[in-house]
Amino acid sequence: MIIESRELRLRHRIPVNRIGKYWKGLEEGKVYKTVCRCGRSYYPPRAECVCGNQTDWVEITGKGIVECFTVVHSIPSCFEWSKPYRIVIARFGDVRVMGWCEDEVVVGDEVSIFTAMDGSGVWKVWFRRG
Amino acid sequence: MKVGIVGVGCSKFGARDCTLQELAFEAVSEALKDADLAQEDIDISVVGCVGTRSYELMPAVVVNEYCGFSGKGPLRVEAACATGSAAVYSAFSSIKAGIAEIAIAIGVEKMTEVDTATSAAIGGRAGNYLWEHHFYGTTFPAYYAMHATAHMAKFGTTEKQMALVAVKAHRNAAKNPKAHFQKEISVEEVLGSRVITYPLKLYDCSPISDGASAAILASEKAVKEHGMDAVWIESIGFSSDTSNMTMRESFVGLRASRLAAEMAYKGAKIIDPLNSLDFATVHDCFTIAEIMAYEDLGFCKKGKGGEFIEKGESDFGGKMPVNTFGGLKAKGHPLAATGIAMVYEIVKQLREEAGRLQVDLKHYRALSHNVGGTGHFAWVFIFGR
Repeated sequence: MIIESRELRLRHRIPVNRIGKYWKGLEEGKVYKTVCRCGRSYYPPRAECVCGNQTDWVEITGKGIVECFTVVHSIPSCFEWSKPYRIVIARFGDVRVMGWCEDEVVVGDEVSIFTAMDGSGVWKVWFRRG
Repeated sequence: MKVGIVGVGCSKFGARDCTLQELAFEAVSEALKDADLAQEDIDISVVGCVGTRSYELMPAVVVNEYCGFSGKGPLRVEAACATGSAAVYSAFSSIKAGIAEIAIAIGVEKMTEVDTATSAAIGGRAGNYLWEHHFYGTTFPAYYAMHATAHMAKFGTTEKQMALVAVKAHRNAAKNPKAHFQKEISVEEVLGSRVITYPLKLYDCSPISDGASAAILASEKAVKEHGMDAVWIESIGFSSDTSNMTMRESFVGLRASRLAAEMAYKGAKIIDPLNSLDFATVHDCFTIAEIMAYEDLGFCKKGKGGEFIEKGESDFGGKMPVNTFGGLKAKGHPLAATGIAMVYEIVKQLREEAGRLQVDLKHYRALSHNVGGTGHFAWVFIFGR
């Protein structure tokens, strides 16, 4: 015998004021990392370094190198609006970046970075081969 | 002062038609009977439960009450898929600190109360929600799939080698009456199963299982007083890594596993694991995870994990029999129950009570390796009898 629990709806409101420049950047076609004068770089970016200093925002540009990837066919409930999608992690200098990529890639390929809105209206990082 | 395991219990894994607390009690009652102890002999209970897929969001007291431990703790722990090991560590620590003489670690998980797509959305949050799942819909298999593509590219590891891990797991689980899947499968079936997240296919992945396990730990003094038979915890190693996958050192292994193993080997004065241990239980939530574990635990060189399985070195009679009860892959992976189910397997083997799955013992020592998330947590225990 099975009974159903009462429904619990969870949708969190996430304050991203300290790292808001990242979200604004995505809408302007820019992907930012943060760097500290102590020498550390952060991607994902953070407003303060573990050393305690405030960090500076630096745009990620140039070509990245694919380090790993996958194509998700078994899609989680919150992405059911999407067809199977390719997740890629690529290295850009001293940081690695995760993004979606519609081009077929293999490890070692060169990719360019850009931003675009996905099918659910969220701006994010994308890559294209070459 | 030594601390030993004096009683173990494990429920049948699979889709179980009972409540969380009823499931926990299956393992707890077996462990109490195994140790010939009663609830009143236990000083503190530790309840491990990830709990993100079941209806009880704060399950520790619910489990504790049903198992007859009200007033004795409970301490609730969570370390993703390594929750069971963290629970054993908490029980171990309470005895080491002199607060308890006898402690119980319980790991329980109900994972089949939500649908698969919801389960995938929860599992994908095991890394860093804000920066990874929120944007890119990472899933738990997707994280390990990315490790797999990196490992394949760097070392030439093949999908067939990964399939062999699944075949071995199912062959062992077929003889384990508590396993979720008790049927053998072929390499062709693994390779032909549907793609979950490239390159991982259905049979490369551990199932969504319900299950519970329990281990009773006792001080050396209590072991003597009660005249109990103990499997001793010789050493414990632990480590962790970044929540963001992009911040990892590399994708061809888990640094946390490597560091936890180094710590455990040092504690147990082990230089050559192949000639010091009789067998191991490793965290094979996906087939690539077992291949990386061979390497990270020092059973073979980095990049040679594919060959290790291909040559049968992790099978019965090999250099290091691994996951003799079927592993997470075929026995099932009810998150919090997994780490303590490894302890169950080790205790049964070291007592030579493993029946058709018994390994040959020479050193009477074994290792458990339990990973939380994708190397977010790692625990390595060395046991001896």
